[in-house]
Amino acid sequence: MKIHLKVWRQAGPTAHGQFVNYTAENVSPHMSFLEMLDVVNEGLIRKGQEAIAFDSDCREGICGTCGFMVSGIPHGPEPHTTVCQLHMRKFKDGDALTLEPWRSKGFPVLRDLIVDRSAFDRIIQAGGYTSVNTGGAQDANAILIGRDTAEAAMDSAACIGCGACVAACKNASAALFTSAKITHLSLLPQGQVERGTRVLNMVERMDMEGFGSCSNEGECEAVCPKGISLRNIATMNREYWKAILSS
Amino acid sequence: MTLDSKVPSGPLAEKWDSHKFASKLVNPANRRKHTVIIVGTGLAGASAASSLGELGYNVLSFCIQDSPRRAHSIAAQGGINAAKNYQNDGDSIYRLFYDTIKGGDYRAREANVYRLAQVSVNIIDQCVAQGVPFAREYGGQLDNRSFGGAQVSRTFYARGQTGQQLLLGAYQSMQRQVARGQVKQFPNREMLDLVLINGQARGIIVRNLVTGQLERYVADAVCLATGGYGTAYYLSTNAVGSNVTASWRAHKRGALFANPCFTQIHPTCIPVSGEDQSKLTLMSESLRNDGRVWVPKNTGDKRRAADIPESERDYYLERKYPSFGNLVPRDVASRNAKQVCDEGRGVGETGLAVYLDFKDAIQRLGHDVVAARYGNLFEMYEKITGEDPYTVPMRMYPAIHYAMGGLWVDYNLMSNVPGLHVLGEANFSDHGANRLGASALMQGLADGYFVIPYTLAHYIAGTKVEKVTTDHDAFKEAENSVQDRINKVLAVKGTKTPRELHRQLGRLLWDDVGMARNEAGLKKALATIPKLREEFWQNVAVPGDANNLNKNLEYAGRVADYLEFAELLALDALTRTESCGGHFREESQTPEGEAQRDDAHFSHVSAWEFQGVGKTPTLHKEPLVFEEVHPSQRSYK
Amino acid sequence: MRALRMLSSSVGTKVILAFTGLSLFGFLLVHLYGNLLAFLGPATYNEHAHALISNPLIIPAEIGLLALFLIHVFKATANYLNNRGARPDGYRMKKWAGGASRKSVGSSTMIWTGLATLLFVAVHLKTFKYGAVYTSVGAGGTEERDLYRLFVEVFQQPVWVISYVVSMILVGLHLRHGISSSMQSLGIMPDTRTALVLRTGLVLAVVIAGLFAILPVVVFFGLVR
Ligand SMILES: Cc1cc2nc3c(=O)[nH]c(=O)nc-3n(C[C@H](O)[C@H](O)[C@H](O)COP(=O)(O)OP(=O)(O)OC[C@H]3O[C@@H](n4cnc5c(N)ncnc54)[C@H](O)[C@@H]3O)c2cc1C
Ligand code: FES
Repeated sequence: MKIHLKVWRQAGPTAHGQFVNYTAENVSPHMSFLEMLDVVNEGLIRKGQEAIAFDSDCREGICGTCGFMVSGIPHGPEPHTTVCQLHMRKFKDGDALTLEPWRSKGFPVLRDLIVDRSAFDRIIQAGGYTSVNTGGAQDANAILIGRDTAEAAMDSAACIGCGACVAACKNASAALFTSAKITHLSLLPQGQVERGTRVLNMVERMDMEGFGSCSNEGECEAVCPKGISLRNIATMNREYWKAILSS
Repeated sequence: MTLDSKVPSGPLAEKWDSHKFASKLVNPANRRKHTVIIVGTGLAGASAASSLGELGYNVLSFCIQDSPRRAHSIAAQGGINAAKNYQNDGDSIYRLFYDTIKGGDYRAREANVYRLAQVSVNIIDQCVAQGVPFAREYGGQLDNRSFGGAQVSRTFYARGQTGQQLLLGAYQSMQRQVARGQVKQFPNREMLDLVLINGQARGIIVRNLVTGQLERYVADAVCLATGGYGTAYYLSTNAVGSNVTASWRAHKRGALFANPCFTQIHPTCIPVSGEDQSKLTLMSESLRNDGRVWVPKNTGDKRRAADIPESERDYYLERKYPSFGNLVPRDVASRNAKQVCDEGRGVGETGLAVYLDFKDAIQRLGHDVVAARYGNLFEMYEKITGEDPYTVPMRMYPAIHYAMGGLWVDYNLMSNVPGLHVLGEANFSDHGANRLGASALMQGLADGYFVIPYTLAHYIAGTKVEKVTTDHDAFKEAENSVQDRINKVLAVKGTKTPRELHRQLGRLLWDDVGMARNEAGLKKALATIPKLREEFWQNVAVPGDANNLNKNLEYAGRVADYLEFAELLALDALTRTESCGGHFREESQTPEGEAQRDDAHFSHVSAWEFQGVGKTPTLHKEPLVFEEVHPSQRSYK
Repeated sequence: MRALRMLSSSVGTKVILAFTGLSLFGFLLVHLYGNLLAFLGPATYNEHAHALISNPLIIPAEIGLLALFLIHVFKATANYLNNRGARPDGYRMKKWAGGASRKSVGSSTMIWTGLATLLFVAVHLKTFKYGAVYTSVGAGGTEERDLYRLFVEVFQQPVWVISYVVSMILVGLHLRHGISSSMQSLGIMPDTRTALVLRTGLVLAVVIAGLFAILPVVVFFGLVR
């Protein structure tokens, strides 16, 4: 297969960016999207040109390192799939694809398709944990948690923090990411003590980072590689006003 | 040099307690005067950072990813072992200890393994307190599965994402310490050298992977938790950023490298599909609980699986190992897969795969039960291969998965370099020659949460360190040498990409230092690696400069280190003329083709001392003393 | 004080928008009820209007309504501007994700349908509340305002009819996203019946906008006179 690529190239955070056209030749349908880019990069490197910068690590859809826009959709057209797990058999010979980085005030572009997502770490720092020190925890089975509750918590905890939700949202809102952690911990007995302060502080941090608010459109859920549900955002909203009322 | 393992005396079960009591403590008010560098934020690094931060030390934490949460540990699927005996099926600390020693083919240190089994129970408590959503039973108690051939159910899991949930737990605890100012985190940093002052590990040189600048950090002690070196083989189940660089540079500064030839090959991975493949995807071992492994009886049988009648199928694991069947340990399953493929009975386009068939399971349990158990794995398989495992058997082939070898450490997890501690997969300590499934997560967290807080305090309290800043000459020297190496790589301006060279190295290692090794192959590898290394330095292509985000430059540096490390890997494999665990020497096998240990000559840890690139390293041996269990020939018949 | 600050956070803003939005929606239902009385003839219609106007509580109610309305408009506009700031450099290519997404024409034009509604309301008040005052004698012999006559008069003119119908389509679009969205913003979206709520929101929007729009049309065609 032959794939035509229009790729955003930007040398650094403050540099001016622009699209550059490339063609990926001899693409095998077994390749992953990133492997296709690897091959394009090999060609560039051999010509003494700098490779297209994109990030990845696990290449199996769990670390959340990879991610960019493939023709206007974060991680590309395949639902529930990170771009590292997207395979070229989903495309046709001759397809023309546009690759852009996530764009948001909270995620400044570092280079080409790589953005700075440290804002997510800071949102977690604001309260995305239970305050227990190592040692001294009671026996694990002393805390009973119903299977359904555990499963629901796991649904929320499955977030990989890739940022596709922010990328897809017209408001560049981080509500899905933030609410997934809030929901995970608010469902479990271990998370009750800090429940109120957690939601207030995490939302405050999310706003400080420059992310927008949620318009309840659910583009985030649609592009989320882990299918994190909009329900999490409803939970966050409810937790939020409850926390205000009880504070 | 004599290797002092510092294993405390006394009965096995009391060693750790008495050691903790005998260890020196650092007064709470004094802890903030001490800085600790922790490189790596996987399970080992993140748990260490959070625990040490909680205790009041100043922790500096580094990782190459853009967030600590993305460390390779996140990819672990299956689960984590602990001797909780919640299932009342006869598990105990002793049994976990015993299984681990035996599984490791009697090449691990008894005292370390016993301690690991002891603290395993605390790990689960700790993680649950953090809110890790482990699977539960309807009554609300924790669920367990049996895993990796264990005969008790002691594996705790969170769907197929156990590593992710455990890592997020540790990461969140660490972020809490970041918020409190106890931990400073430095993501996007690659450690490129270790700084020694008066023989003590006192700092590191890192490259800021975004700006390209070299940075110096000083501390009272350094902990490496930088993971394993599986990506030496190019194709492996490890994250593509995994590397040996941090360990290797520490090795070049004097830290001994132990048992590098002990690499684990995982039997159930999705086979290679093409030249440009960049990694192999693991399919959880749990699939072997219900899937049946087979190949055609006749060589060269190219019919579709469905067209091959029962009578012409060879369920070779069930045939050869009637009591363990498809659940034999990883090394045994892997070797057998290679064997049948070598015989020309492999399946798929490349002939390098065996079937893992769920037809019987679907018949016996029904589609829904199978879907509930393995649905997400089946989906992943279909995503990658485009084949539906409900109707067509999965194709599987072994792949490099884990490094049992690593930097040598004593019972305190300290290397032979004072102050340099090594945690998690980066050290060599607990898994011997073969790691049991679900034990790496356990070890990483044991090291970070429950061992290093005590042993590091002991080191700090008992050691005088000179007051220095990063202006010290040793920092200058280290930074200059790193800078030189980077300049050298950039100056080559050749035509071969780091990936091509890496792929070449990987193929070489896979063929000659892979699942089955022999003298001729190892010697060939030892002769070829230096040539490849030379080619790298003559002809590697790294466009761009060092003062920028340059992925290709990072990668080239890692490949360069692998090209040095690979020689040690092959040499260790050549020197160890016995077969044990993941290390299979064709010259040393039982008449049935099983691994044949040679306890008389090889019941030791091989710890190598660096003598210079291309120079033969010096071998130091730490004898393994078995006071509790008696090494016997492993049998899974 | 802290509570006030928290109410102006992104989530707080959405909670306020949802609360005021749902309240305005409630008002809309009351208003619609009044409108539909027109089908029962001038007497019933004017009697209801009179009952409302002469109620001593009408002033505080109107002030409250105005406050809700202004808060909704102000918050929504501020929120819109803030959200635009969250992506200073836009995508060169962007597509709708489809699948689980709830994005619709309504959801992506909320600010515009909202502002159009603001304009509409201003004109609407000018035309009716502050429009020509006709009087008639009600059932009890008291003199009442003859709003019925006014609207029949207004809707003789095609411009008014068309602009009303168009306005109602816009209001409908606003409701199409607004009703279910406010449930989500308040966190009272039921977990298991999300699809039902979304559909109900859509149906309500169509029905309400339709019923509002139908009156000018039937008046114009002389079906109600
Ligand atoms: C696909 C897969 C599935 C697995 N499943 C299981 C399982 O079910 N159960 C189980 O017990 N084990 C499993 N394992 C093994 C287990 O995941 C790993 O052994 C373990 O997570 C290693 O943890 P770690 O903390 O030692 O290192 P890692 O998690 O590898 O972390 C290494 C850290 O070091 C950092 N680093 C590396 N090099 C540098 C450098 N030069 N400079 C700075 N930082 C650096 C990285 O950024 C990272 O933060 C699995 C492994 C794989 C590959
Ligand atoms: S590289 Fe890890 S999710 Fe894609």
